[in-house]
Amino acid sequence: MTATKNNREKEGAPASRPTSLLRHLASVRLGIVSLSLIGATSILGTVIKQGGTEEEYLSLYSERAYHFIKLFGFDDTYHSPWFYFLLILFTVNLIACTVRRIRTLTAEKGRTARTPADVKGLVAAGSGFTAKAGSLGEVSRRLGASSYRKKELSETTALYEKGSLARYGVVVIHASILAVLLGGLVGILGGDRGFIVLRVGETTQAAVKRERGRPPVPLGFTVRCKDFTISLYPGGQPKEYASDIEILDMAGKVVKTGRIKVNEPLSYNGVRLYQSSYGTSNSYTFRVNGKEVVLAEQEVAKAGRTPFMVVRYAAQVHDFGPGVMVAYMDGEEPKTLWFLRDVERMRTRVIQGSRISLEGITGGYYTGLEVSRDPGVPVVLAGFALMLVGLYINFFTFHRRIYVVSDGAAIHVGGVASRNREGFLEELHKLSKDLA
Amino acid sequence: MITHDTILGISTILYLALFFLYVLYFAAGKKAILTIAWYCLLLTFALQTAGIGLRWVESYRLGMGHAPLSNYYESLIFFSWSISVLVMVMRKRLFPVITFAAATASLALMAYASLSPGVERGIQPLIPALQSNWLHVHVITCFLAYAAFVVSFTCGGLYFFESRGIVPPGRTLEDINYRSIIIGFSMLTSGILTGAVWAHYAWGSYWSWDPKETWSLITWIVYALILHLRFTGGWRGRKTAFLSIIGFASVVITYFGVNFFLAGLHSYAT
Ligand code: HEM
Repeated sequence: MTATKNNREKEGAPASRPTSLLRHLASVRLGIVSLSLIGATSILGTVIKQGGTEEEYLSLYSERAYHFIKLFGFDDTYHSPWFYFLLILFTVNLIACTVRRIRTLTAEKGRTARTPADVKGLVAAGSGFTAKAGSLGEVSRRLGASSYRKKELSETTALYEKGSLARYGVVVIHASILAVLLGGLVGILGGDRGFIVLRVGETTQAAVKRERGRPPVPLGFTVRCKDFTISLYPGGQPKEYASDIEILDMAGKVVKTGRIKVNEPLSYNGVRLYQSSYGTSNSYTFRVNGKEVVLAEQEVAKAGRTPFMVVRYAAQVHDFGPGVMVAYMDGEEPKTLWFLRDVERMRTRVIQGSRISLEGITGGYYTGLEVSRDPGVPVVLAGFALMLVGLYINFFTFHRRIYVVSDGAAIHVGGVASRNREGFLEELHKLSKDLA
Repeated sequence: MITHDTILGISTILYLALFFLYVLYFAAGKKAILTIAWYCLLLTFALQTAGIGLRWVESYRLGMGHAPLSNYYESLIFFSWSISVLVMVMRKRLFPVITFAAATASLALMAYASLSPGVERGIQPLIPALQSNWLHVHVITCFLAYAAFVVSFTCGGLYFFESRGIVPPGRTLEDINYRSIIIGFSMLTSGILTGAVWAHYAWGSYWSWDPKETWSLITWIVYALILHLRFTGGWRGRKTAFLSIIGFASVVITYFGVNFFLAGLHSYAT
């Protein structure tokens, strides 16, 4: 099979320039080269640190190596221009190759229909048998029962065919890869990603980009975190965490509510929200000159004229239980002071003449949601499905042809199979035994 | 009360017995030993299946019920189990020496799982990201692929030995190698695709170039190259045998290497 294919490629008149270029573009050799290069360079991205900061690289590699990494974009291998170039080369090659394959398939189809195989030769080669002339009807019935389709080639010759779809398996596989690549491209061009952090009760209308220095992405609606719940295993590891989310349109009307869990995103208007992380952010209750003030971390309050805020929280300060470090301005000079909730002497302190006491610390959760809009996903998923179908019909079904020639005295049955020859010979053998 | 540990322990010992049965067969050449070995394999597999099932049941008793496919220990056991599944699926084509190699691989995985001090053997709670039905399809398809590649690697390796005594002829090895690559490639494709769909639901992105993902892609590319070089380049014999060894090296890096040397989202194993 290989030999005939190679010959076919070499046959014919010398190709003119453009067709020769096309031929190279469609060649399997180019496919093998581009695929090998994609594989080899993919390795680099798994051994060189990706997306680190300059300091991280310099602590891992020499300065010279760092310049080299930067120059070739090895710090973001899979998004570097040359990696995209390889992907494009591969895609073009695959398109050309698929087009050519479809062409040969249609040409082949005409040819096999016209020229019946050398049946006696097949019989002699062991890929067939000879039976009594009377069993012609029986052959037809038997092959029909195992879902062979019959085609009369001439008065004396009939062709029985099964699994002709198998020949299209390769085309389906290759087309499915193109679909996945196309979906990926649509995602890159038309998609966006971001991240939002919400405390219970908070709302937002935009997602933060993970890359430094990029403006936030507007969502086109408002997300509100109604509640966050977490359940733990007996050992204390998180078992399940979920955010109850409300989505409001620009007029402030609730248009969707739902619960987002890990593995169960919520989607609205093409935007998907994923439960990604969570954490605690405390709020601190102070009594300032007899008045209660509730503060979040980094939130500024006034004690008389003096602004102060909580800059640090520690669950255990030595052995004295939880405490917070408070910063305040002493004129122009920033100063800090520790408050300990459970130590009487350290709970109430005086800052610039104001009496401040730490009354309580309450924990509140925040939820971290991954936000993604990717219009390419349906195309990618369709490509996935197609790929599995293609693999199945290419590898696990096969194209069989059985020619039946009757010459009055006897009938000659000869068969060809595109793969699984052993299984096919067994099938022929069984047929011949049943007819004997 | 019998626990899953006991049953898996017995199945490990049976894999060892299987190993010696084959050694005995190679020494004595008695056909009857092969029959005994085959029943021994069936029994071992049945017990191993029961052990995995019991671990599943026990996890429910501990209040964190989940299929035993989630940590390194469980994946090693499942790898061993998958190899035996594959041997049974391909039994008509395999030769004693290949079954022997597969059983030895199963034994090595079981022994490593139960003896290595670096492997956490307890039933652990399942982190939320792993709580998905995609976990099951993903892990099953990936490990069936790895198992098929174990068979392919065995054929590739044996190809470099002279076809004498217990080593089947080159053409036969070539044929079995190709068949196992077909199974492995199809399963690996399913594994990568189900993984991508799962990542889409869990992380919001079907592909993130995480080292394990990337290495599975590299492995997939290596086997795709083998298929093409075979089919259109007409590569046979030593060349494909060598390539199937390279392919398996890539599998080993994907499964073991990434866990130990490269950090990433998949590093559940440490
Ligand atoms: C990741 C990429 C690719 C995958 C997964 C893939 C997959 C496959 C599979 C599974 C087969 C069937 C092999 C067999 O039946 O043994 C095949 C055949 C083939 N592939 Fe690819 N392929 C890829 C890329 C390419 C590229 C880039 C070319 C470009 C030239 C190409 C050209 C061919 C050809 C010519 C055949 C033989 C078809 C025939 O004549 O029946 N493939 N491919």
